[in-house]
Amino acid sequence: MMSNTYRRALLVAATVTLITASARAADEAATYFRQNCMSCHTIGGGRLVGPDLKDVTQRRDKGWLQKFVANPKSYLDGGDPYVAKLKEDARGAVMPNIAGIDEARALALLEMIERESKLPKSQFAGLNIGDQPFTPSDIANGRAIILGEKHLANGGPACVSCHSVDNISILGGGKLAPDLTKVFERMRGRKNLASWLQAPATPTMRPLFANQSMTNDEITQLVAYLETTARKPQQTGDTATLSFFFLGLGGCVLGFIGADTVWRKRLRGVRKPLIEEARRGDR
Amino acid sequence: MTTFANYLDTVLFAVFPYVAMVLFLVGTIHRYRSESFTYSSLSSQLLENKQHFWAVVPFHYGIITVLTGHIVAFLIPRQFLLFNSKPLRLYILEVSALIFGITTLVSLLAIIARRFTDPRVRVVTTKADWFLYGMLLLQVFCGVYVAIFYRWGSAWFAASASPYLWSLLKLRPEIAVIAAMPFAVKLHIVNAWLVIAFFPFTRLVHILVVPNQYLFRKRQVVRWYRRPQMARS
Repeated sequence: MMSNTYRRALLVAATVTLITASARAADEAATYFRQNCMSCHTIGGGRLVGPDLKDVTQRRDKGWLQKFVANPKSYLDGGDPYVAKLKEDARGAVMPNIAGIDEARALALLEMIERESKLPKSQFAGLNIGDQPFTPSDIANGRAIILGEKHLANGGPACVSCHSVDNISILGGGKLAPDLTKVFERMRGRKNLASWLQAPATPTMRPLFANQSMTNDEITQLVAYLETTARKPQQTGDTATLSFFFLGLGGCVLGFIGADTVWRKRLRGVRKPLIEEARRGDR
Repeated sequence: MTTFANYLDTVLFAVFPYVAMVLFLVGTIHRYRSESFTYSSLSSQLLENKQHFWAVVPFHYGIITVLTGHIVAFLIPRQFLLFNSKPLRLYILEVSALIFGITTLVSLLAIIARRFTDPRVRVVTTKADWFLYGMLLLQVFCGVYVAIFYRWGSAWFAASASPYLWSLLKLRPEIAVIAAMPFAVKLHIVNAWLVIAFFPFTRLVHILVVPNQYLFRKRQVVRWYRRPQMARS
């Protein structure tokens, strides 16, 4: 027989466990949303590439949404008129299958979205950069962030490691990733670009910025600079790669010439001259 | 197709590295214990001396510098990125690295040509040597190609490749970033593991037994015994 006190204690313990477990699940859903969904969706901040998800569960059946989120690809190929409408609204951009998603996680996400929809302002309402012109200092700071002269507060690497922008400096930026000169146009404006930067979702950028996201100030400054580069006429031709190659080749040639000079006596014999000398002496 | 590509990425970047590391460890120790006399890279300088200077010598200056760069960026990626945060420093580092990279490539080609054309050197070249030269040529070519066409490697190596290597050491491989890299970068990585896997079976073992003390020992005086009086009398 369990005593009443014991039973009560057990009940309290179970409740606490349940509450902390569900809180942890909610936290996890929010983190997952931040890292994977936020670049295309807001909750109550208007449409980006994908639709605003505020009250999405009232617009469409939750069970259907759960299956769709877990595997959007299988729906996109089918003839569902609702999916066709989504695709049309996104101007052809389609939702990819997200890494690490399953139906359980999809459900947790939908529940999190329901909770966030009820709030006056969700944490996922997106970064609201107004239509005011940016200040010259914003633009200059954005340039400094791209070059790495100004360090990202949370420790992300400088953009120039992988990206080129305009003719940002003599040898240009990196070539591993796309050129960012016109990215402002490609992303269709301030709001989309800013949201994308809050949680970059490409396979290469996501791991880099998942735990060291950019601050809102940094994002504003980057958007400011990228807006100016998109407005300038496009520069043509990539002289940086060629200059870089010739600098390397030139240095290599100089190195060989240097080695030849430093070790010019390298083939001076030791044994042969001695033998010859000895022979001359014999005669 | 996607599933097959994912599967291939997992095998190449998360499984093969461990196979390579085990082969490296077991192979090098076993060979050292059982065939100590072969633990060397037999010099061919005695057989051919002129081309040697333009091939083997610059190759070693090049490869040692470039490999050191890889290792330093792997060990202290954050400091590497901080160093690169002034564009001028990034450019100086990248141009120097490219100079050594091209030097390595050019001199490796000279090494292969020397092995091929000089009859005396050719005789002492084994099948394992040819195989190794093939792997090294592919590796160095890919490296220089990546340095030129996917710059700035010194920065993104520290940011993306270094965490991959650490994740392997922590036994929790994270390959998403590597899986998204361009083909040349992937080839450079897979071939690096291949070189490590074959390391114990090639002349590369000499790296483990470099006589470093030679750098610090006193000079040895080697004299010609002349017997001057006899010779001149």
